[in-house]
Amino acid sequence: MRKIQSMISTASPDFRTYDAHNRRILTEFREKQETARHSRQQRDLDRLEKQGKMRPRERIEMLLDPGTPFLELSSLAANMAYDGGSPSASSIVGIGVVSGREVMIRADDPTIKGGAWYPLTIKKIVRALDIAIENRLPVIHLCDSAGGFLQLQSDLFPDKFMGGRIFRNQSILSKMGVKQLALVFGHCTAGGAYIPGLSDYNVIVRGTGAVFLGGPPLVKAATGEEVSVEELGGADMHTSVSGSCDYPASSEAEAIHIGREIVAQWERPKKWDCQRETPEDPAYDPDELYGIIPDDIKKHFDMREVIARMVDGSRFHEYQPNYGTTLICGFAHIWGYKVGILANNGVLFNDSSLKGAHFMELCNQNNTPLVFLQNITGYMIGREYERRGITKDGAKMIMAQSCSHVPKFTVMCNGSFGAGNYGMCGRAFDGRFMFCWPNHQIGVMGGDQAANTLAEVKINQMKRNGGVVDEAEVQKLWEETRSAYQEQLSAYYSTSQLWDDGIIDPVDTRNALGISISASLNAPLGDPGYGVFRF
Amino acid sequence: MSDPLFNKVLVANRGEIACRIMRTLTDMGISTVAIHHAAESKARHVQMADKAVEICGETPVAAHLDMGQIIEIARKLEVDAIHPGYGFLSENANFAAAVAEAGMTFIGPDAETIALMGDKISARNFAEKHNVAVAPSVMPTDDLEDFIEKAADIGYPLLIKAAAGGGGKGMSIVREAGALVEAARIASSEAQRYFGDGRVYAETFVDHPRHIEVQILGDGKGGAIHLFERECSVQRRFQKIIEEAPAANLSSELRDEICTSATRLAAAAHYKNAGTVEYILGADGRFFFLEMNTRLQVEHPVTEMITGIDLVRAQIEIAAGKGLPLPQSEVRTSGHAIECRICAENPEQDFMPETGVVRHLGVPEAEWLRFENALTHGQKITADFDPMLAKLVAHGPDRDAAIERSIAALGELALLGVKTNIDYLARLINHDAFRTAELHTGFIAQHRDDLAPKALNETERAQILAAAFLGFRQTRDLIVGTPEPHAAIGGWRN
Amino acid sequence: MGFQLILDGEEHDVAIVRRRPHLVLRIDGIQHEFSEIGGPGDGLHALKCGKHPIDFIRASDNERQIIRLGGRTFEVDLTDPFSEGMESGGNMDAVRSPMPGTVVSIQCKEGDTVVRGTPLVTIESMKLQTVLSAMREGTVAEILRAEGETFEKDAIIVMLEPETEKA
Repeated sequence: MRKIQSMISTASPDFRTYDAHNRRILTEFREKQETARHSRQQRDLDRLEKQGKMRPRERIEMLLDPGTPFLELSSLAANMAYDGGSPSASSIVGIGVVSGREVMIRADDPTIKGGAWYPLTIKKIVRALDIAIENRLPVIHLCDSAGGFLQLQSDLFPDKFMGGRIFRNQSILSKMGVKQLALVFGHCTAGGAYIPGLSDYNVIVRGTGAVFLGGPPLVKAATGEEVSVEELGGADMHTSVSGSCDYPASSEAEAIHIGREIVAQWERPKKWDCQRETPEDPAYDPDELYGIIPDDIKKHFDMREVIARMVDGSRFHEYQPNYGTTLICGFAHIWGYKVGILANNGVLFNDSSLKGAHFMELCNQNNTPLVFLQNITGYMIGREYERRGITKDGAKMIMAQSCSHVPKFTVMCNGSFGAGNYGMCGRAFDGRFMFCWPNHQIGVMGGDQAANTLAEVKINQMKRNGGVVDEAEVQKLWEETRSAYQEQLSAYYSTSQLWDDGIIDPVDTRNALGISISASLNAPLGDPGYGVFRF
Repeated sequence: MSDPLFNKVLVANRGEIACRIMRTLTDMGISTVAIHHAAESKARHVQMADKAVEICGETPVAAHLDMGQIIEIARKLEVDAIHPGYGFLSENANFAAAVAEAGMTFIGPDAETIALMGDKISARNFAEKHNVAVAPSVMPTDDLEDFIEKAADIGYPLLIKAAAGGGGKGMSIVREAGALVEAARIASSEAQRYFGDGRVYAETFVDHPRHIEVQILGDGKGGAIHLFERECSVQRRFQKIIEEAPAANLSSELRDEICTSATRLAAAAHYKNAGTVEYILGADGRFFFLEMNTRLQVEHPVTEMITGIDLVRAQIEIAAGKGLPLPQSEVRTSGHAIECRICAENPEQDFMPETGVVRHLGVPEAEWLRFENALTHGQKITADFDPMLAKLVAHGPDRDAAIERSIAALGELALLGVKTNIDYLARLINHDAFRTAELHTGFIAQHRDDLAPKALNETERAQILAAAFLGFRQTRDLIVGTPEPHAAIGGWRN
Repeated sequence: MGFQLILDGEEHDVAIVRRRPHLVLRIDGIQHEFSEIGGPGDGLHALKCGKHPIDFIRASDNERQIIRLGGRTFEVDLTDPFSEGMESGGNMDAVRSPMPGTVVSIQCKEGDTVVRGTPLVTIESMKLQTVLSAMREGTVAEILRAEGETFEKDAIIVMLEPETEKA
């Protein structure tokens, strides 16, 4: 495997411009993240302190093994929803190491409206458990929630992937033999009571933790019975009378300590044997990534430069280097793990589509995980390409990708438009993890393109109606379409909706992938096989 | 090899001395019998012996003091002789008599000699009669007023001692009249407890005295030789913890005077077998008879190392009627030897006895080194027996060399699982006052502050903490049990 | 998350900072890097912090680690902040034995009023007799050992009635 030869100069004007641009974007990202993670109402923080509770991030830090990484997922979920009323969707999700074992950690955030679950909170929790199921990751729940956010109850209760899905996922995890631990720091009411109820182990903090299907107010309203929180669902009752909870703790710190001891009892997982060598840092500085991604989504750049700053030793074994050059395919190592990388270097043509499909077949044959680095505006369209069968070839690529049995990871580095998103393992295609960069944009088509198309349609409509083409109207339409699109194209919009597993700093991609790949190895490979390729 | 002097010898003791005695017995081709309490069935002296028999008693010590039981066992096994070691029944005249009556040889003096020297008062009188100086004293009487008056005559400070005692038990220093009554009462109670005889007496206490003792061997017919002296001044609670041979800074005249007085005493008593005459030596060169120990002493190895004579072998030969091993004129010394008594105690807490389990034992080896012990890995150190665990004896061409070697050996010696005085002894031997042999029985009290351990510096502390941190299972697991690539990525957050 | 280790009666903080390429521990606020950490368990090991390897011997004694390093022996304990029965602060109700031994004689009886220094029990260990006295004034509540009974270090021999709040 040879080292990629970088062709860019860090002193060039373009590099400097792009670097400044991307660092501004990064600063904006970090500011939004900081706000989402830490900016809270003082009265909520005061209330927490009065209750003797720790903040959720403090609980997580105490839970994690010292000197180990924590890959937080979807830190900016719900950032463009509910008028900012639910930062991070009132939930912290991530992968960390506890007592030497990889686990999925999911924590409620009681500093936001008592930890109430918004619809996106539920989506985030379900996604966390889906990841746990797909990767066979044990789960630790840090429960401290007031329950569903009643004002939006219709969006969080009835449908297939709403509230109930959490408990369904928990049950399936348990059936799979994947362990769950719940640490009850606050109230687990109604549905929420099922989280510790469905966990294999749970710990409850005396005085603040409580588990009940109905809290005291509901009980009084329903039957007239008057009963205190402690008596109805407190630690001592559940750990000595009902047996619904396993371990009482006198403090949050003790609950976490017990939790760590419980995890220490779990067997260490048997992972499937992915090819692995000794890791090596990239030969090129990942910091240079900021100077490589252009300041305009329409400007092209060579994805090899990105790969060089992400993989071990910057070494890359390129497959079919002279064919289908708009899709780079090749093998590399990330944190030692052997992976097959597909990276866009332009529009997808027939040859690049075929190359991609074939390469994915090779990776499946070799049990090599797939990493997709997206920067795609779409498949080539036009008469010549249709005649050559671009539809068939794109379909073959999608077929190979969908049916791959190796784990798939996607990083959306720049643009992710249209069917190109599909071929390159978009959200719908069961990639184990999907990250995007703050500069990333996603849509059916680019903003300008959409605006142009809609304008075109409008103009034709006007013509058909036998009217005059109103330039001003077209211009206004163009601008309106464009700005609406821009908003919905941005990485913030898509991450808000949980269409990905989080925006990450480009420089963090290597660590994120390393941890993701390691997590994915806990699940055995699926059965190989493909559907019908339309040749 | 000629016929062994005895066929079978029972060692009525335990621990390091039993092992040491059996070593010589085996060298001499004599079959060995060990006795042990149930609590010690895996002890080293039991493993070493050709035959081992369990003895019963309310406590392990009581078992070792059960004369009848021991003699019965010896008789049943057709043992020829019994070696009593030190402590336990070694200075019990009744035992010596009973052994003889049972038709076996007691490897030690006659019962009469034991009785004579065992009673401190009669021993003193005997010494005085044979021109061996004794310190002024007051005999005990029922009239306490009288006792106090006479004691005041001697002057203070004076020493209260148990008449039937030894080894530092039943002793205390009284510096003023007001403390005399209480001291006498406690000493009497202790003496009654250990020696079955509550009589105490008082004698002049020499300030800053040196404890000098002489090893003698007697043939029982009036013939006796000395094997020169030992200095045992470094003591705590009246018990020796460092002994050396020869004594430093002794003029040859004084040495000769002291040693020949010991021989004179032994000969006069028709002393048979090994014994030690103990003296107090003042700074002015005056020395007083303290007591005579009618047994092999703990610190006998230092004499063996400078004279080249195996004292246990000599004991067995004398007991078998072979007489003394060599004439006085042929007794020579070479070099200097120092013995450190390794004890299970905490020097930083006033030498409070300690208990524990031997978790790790690392013993240095050298041809100039003897490490007399009966330690085994996993052995429980309990309050059942004396806290002395072992003796580390180093020999060198001169005193300085012996000191350097002792320090090196103590540094290498590792006994983990019970607190010991090993590091303390190393500091003590390294002390200037020890190196220049400014020794006296108050040495440890005088240099208490100097001998306290130095405070650790930051780096040393960090090393110790890290070493321990890497030993605790839960913290070590946290270090080595982290999966990859998480361990390599470290504390990253996104 | 850090740990508290006790050495010579003092608490020290130790935390894991990094594991690769070498172990870095933060001990009492200062980071130390160890290029060699030695093997697990008891025995002779070597640590390397800086240029020179440091030999040491380690033995575990129940929950305690014993380290012999630089010619001295140390005992290190790991505090368990959540162990049961951790009593905070001094408790002067219990008269404990400073060393293992046997009860020689009992000089008090239950119900006796005592003052600071009143002799309560005479104990003996290793042929040494000591008198245990009351550390404060109070009333003898219970005598837990009889004459002739043996006990281990720190065993409670006599209990005084707990002190009530002074008006």
